[in-house]
Amino acid sequence: MTRFQRWALALTLPAAVLAIGLYVFPILQVLALSFLEPKPGFGNYVSLFGNAAIGRVVRTTVIVSVLTTAITVVLAYVVAFAIVQMRRELRRVALFLVMVPFWISVLVRAFSWITILRRNGVLNTALTQTGLISEPLDLVYNQFGVIIGMVHYMMPFAILLLVANLGDIDRRIIQAARSLGAQPATVFWRVWLPLSLPGISIASLFTIIFSLGFLVTPAILGAGRVLMIAEYISVQISSTLRWGVATALSTLMLVAVGILVAIAMRHPAMRAAFGGGRA
Amino acid sequence: MTPVRRLAQIGAPKFFAWLLLAFLFVPILVVITVSLTDRDYLSLPQDGISLSHYASLLDWRAGWLASMLTSFVIALISSLLATTVAAAYAIGAWVYVGRWPSMLRVVLLSPLIVPPIIYAVGMVKLWSRFGLLDSWIGVTIVHVMLAIPLAVLAIGASLSNLDPRMVQAARSLGARPPTIFLRVIVPNLASGIGAGAVLAFITSWDEITVTLFITGRHIVTLPRRIWTSIADSVDPALAAIASVLLLATLLALLVRVLFVERGRAPSR
Repeated sequence: MTRFQRWALALTLPAAVLAIGLYVFPILQVLALSFLEPKPGFGNYVSLFGNAAIGRVVRTTVIVSVLTTAITVVLAYVVAFAIVQMRRELRRVALFLVMVPFWISVLVRAFSWITILRRNGVLNTALTQTGLISEPLDLVYNQFGVIIGMVHYMMPFAILLLVANLGDIDRRIIQAARSLGAQPATVFWRVWLPLSLPGISIASLFTIIFSLGFLVTPAILGAGRVLMIAEYISVQISSTLRWGVATALSTLMLVAVGILVAIAMRHPAMRAAFGGGRA
Repeated sequence: MTPVRRLAQIGAPKFFAWLLLAFLFVPILVVITVSLTDRDYLSLPQDGISLSHYASLLDWRAGWLASMLTSFVIALISSLLATTVAAAYAIGAWVYVGRWPSMLRVVLLSPLIVPPIIYAVGMVKLWSRFGLLDSWIGVTIVHVMLAIPLAVLAIGASLSNLDPRMVQAARSLGARPPTIFLRVIVPNLASGIGAGAVLAFITSWDEITVTLFITGRHIVTLPRRIWTSIADSVDPALAAIASVLLLATLLALLVRVLFVERGRAPSR
């Protein structure tokens, strides 16, 4: 190793020390505690599977996350597909409309949905005043409100990932299909869609991972009535102080995320996409 | 093809896409309207608009200014630290190609994937052992760790455009390693380091999940104060602060679209 390379190696050390001491170690400690608190063994995991309340929380989390992911990716695909075909100026306008919510604080976005969806909120007021409905609708503090808020949060991510993927598709393939006489619907189903599968997989993967561990939007728009795992963990460590349960659930969540990422990495297109970095 | 069918095949999906873009954008704008309400509860303006909720933000006792200051100081310091560490790592990894830097890269980027609630649980335990819960140092360190990934990505992107021959030239002319790092590589990365610092600042300024668990009465960042207000009241001051944040974001994005991207366009 040359002197120059030794210097370079030394430059990576502060990041390594910080990452291992203040990121990896605390998370490993979570894993360890799940087997040690309150007494050593698999007790926490056994009680997780026997506990009806936790079962309900896990079920809610999976249902909300899967619905959010499905809705987000389908809608994001429609937007991304339209964006890549737009003229330059229009595309800039559209991307601006995506970037604004992307950069807006998650709290501001959840709060907007509260002002719109609550019983005497903007939407219910408008609907009752125009006489479309007589009683205000329950649009928030239930699964419906949580899913709207989460789809709204995840869509910009998914759109940006899909735009990057669809933009990379070689247009000459599309032109070739057209010149060989394929109908627009055939071109879409047999050419565009298969070529965009890697993008769709990445967008789905990120959406489901973010959804599974999401705290802020479900907590605000669910107001305790739609309890997801992250909020349940937060209650365990801040009110009831059941560290064993909190760390065991955290461990399960980490394992689930790890499995999802590992599945994704088996796909060469996904590896390429991850290797290329995400922005 | 009849015009109606043509519209159905090409027009309708486009129309639907714009409708979805409106779904993304319009709800956020509602906040601005609500912030101008003349009532003291969350509602649309009824007999006229009022700026009183903006004025109430300026009252020091209301706590909004103090929280903004808290968030600003923490974001500034953690952005500086995160950018320094990330730049050192990225440059080191660029020169020293091998297994170790790429393994470390996976660890450094993992906060982008690992749900923050898991990190929050770990940090509550660690900081309670060191007595750093609800302390400036405790929050700043956590924000550094969460900001490093974005800084690494931004600086890494700008390093991939750097010409290695420049470094070879400096080495063959006999420059010492510190000189090469500080006077050849760093100046050429200025834009990437700047972008990394901005991303790190925003990450810290916006961070809520982990902050929620490791702060208490003493350190109240802006997101934390917003979180508490959403939970326990319907104060229109919340709409005012949300609008201020929204307008700042809109302004920053407009500046980027109008100036930065336009200035860069011809070179592409």
